[in-house]
Amino acid sequence: MREPAPRPAEIAGDLFRRESARLVAALTRVLGPTNLPLVEDVVQDALVSALSAWQLGAPNDPRAWIIRTAKNRAIDVIRRQRRHTALFAPGADDAPDEGALARSLDHALEGAEVDASQLAMMFSICHDDLSADTHVTLILRFLCGLGSREIARAFLVDVPTIDRRLHRGRERLQSLGRLYDVEADDDVRARLPSVLRALYLLFNEGFHGTDAENPLQAALCDEAMRLVALLQSRASTASPEVHALAALFAFLGARLETRMGDDGIFVPLAEQDRARWNRALLDHGVVCLGMAATGPELSRWHIEAGIACEHALATSVEATRWAQIVTLYDALYALLPGPVVALNRALAVAELEGEAAGLRALDAVRGDARLVSYPFYWAAFADLARRRGDVAEAVAHYESAARVSRSRAERVAYERQVAKLVRRGG
Amino acid sequence: MSKFMYVFRGGAIATTGLSPTEVQAHLKKWYDWMGALAKAGQTHPGGGRLMGEGMMVRGHDRTTTDGPYAESKDLITGNLIIEAASLAAATEIAQGCPIFEFDGSVEVRPIHEM
Repeated sequence: MREPAPRPAEIAGDLFRRESARLVAALTRVLGPTNLPLVEDVVQDALVSALSAWQLGAPNDPRAWIIRTAKNRAIDVIRRQRRHTALFAPGADDAPDEGALARSLDHALEGAEVDASQLAMMFSICHDDLSADTHVTLILRFLCGLGSREIARAFLVDVPTIDRRLHRGRERLQSLGRLYDVEADDDVRARLPSVLRALYLLFNEGFHGTDAENPLQAALCDEAMRLVALLQSRASTASPEVHALAALFAFLGARLETRMGDDGIFVPLAEQDRARWNRALLDHGVVCLGMAATGPELSRWHIEAGIACEHALATSVEATRWAQIVTLYDALYALLPGPVVALNRALAVAELEGEAAGLRALDAVRGDARLVSYPFYWAAFADLARRRGDVAEAVAHYESAARVSRSRAERVAYERQVAKLVRRGG
Repeated sequence: MSKFMYVFRGGAIATTGLSPTEVQAHLKKWYDWMGALAKAGQTHPGGGRLMGEGMMVRGHDRTTTDGPYAESKDLITGNLIIEAASLAAATEIAQGCPIFEFDGSVEVRPIHEM
């Protein structure tokens, strides 16, 4: 007899990635970070079980299936571990009984508790003992559910480097007796800057990503926005800086769709179709910026959000309030003097006062060793030369930009500028 | 048409270190392949979905051992019954199976008609 045909089997979006990250945080909070390797195994097993069990069709509630499987598997492994311990040290087992364990797992797997676990994981990861690169690596692994190969691809580094960072991070997490508690631990404010910087790097990796063909690239921006919203949702972790960073993400995120053409090549800001910018995100950015404007603190996130806001709300490049932007860059440079800030400031000066003034501002960073491999540096000189009408110089600089570009999306964008100039000039 | 059983060994299920996204992407390939088979009226869904663990009972003594019983590439990870005109045709259909992405194997066996 023929059995019914399999259900149309489609697993929505990035269910496996998201659920594995949520499970890792929730289970680690209950079982303690010492058991992190066990937790990772249990979650991996649940996904592979799904692969095997669902090959002919997915269950009605795939999410619940994965959660249930991981939970049962965790209880199973711990039961076995206890039996083992009891064998070698009879009577040493004073841990709560299995019923209690199952209940605390059930509690931890409820929505709001999973959010709390992810916050706990985020703050546990972002400790000053670890580098900023390691923070982002661990966030991508334990809060976004990426594998080593995927993290390596996002960062343009090799897999062993990522595995080394993960190893260091795991060791450090395992040495904690428990995950960080944002409601009870008293140095939340002191750790917050590291958390925010890590989320910024995460967003940036998605936004200026070096691997435009990578389908996970845009997900990095979404993940950074999701995690900053998590920080905003709790009184203990929300602060003006957190809201400012959320505003920055929203203003930049609103432009994500238009910054790349259908052919996967970057579209310059001046040529983007502003009508297609994400209205809901722009509005969200304005709300976040309003929430950020409390208290005396003016952080780099406030200033960067302010700059992104000016761009986001302007109807065109010409209608942009460049005087405001130059003022904001002055403030940013005072806070964070660096060649990239100086470069962006010079471009704003050029818009406000003309190419000659822009070029004078660029002189401050001309030949800076940190910039010569940065495509935007060459593109800045190229833009100013183009506007002066100096085709030869503009072409030479765009070619330099294309030479040091980090992806096809960037390189072709600069090659197109060259082609346009050559067409017009010839 | 005759019936054939595919016996799957190894593949993604027996591969360690896959990321959640890789697992999900691979599952999608199975759905695509199964969907193509179903459309061609070839599947008898309900073939075995095997869990990872199990027991092995072997020999006159009925020696009972825990799994795993074989190297992971030899581990049976599932089966499926299909209809095809001939063993050659069934073997041809097996070429499209996603199991090969992770170096698995498909044994194609004709089933006796009773």
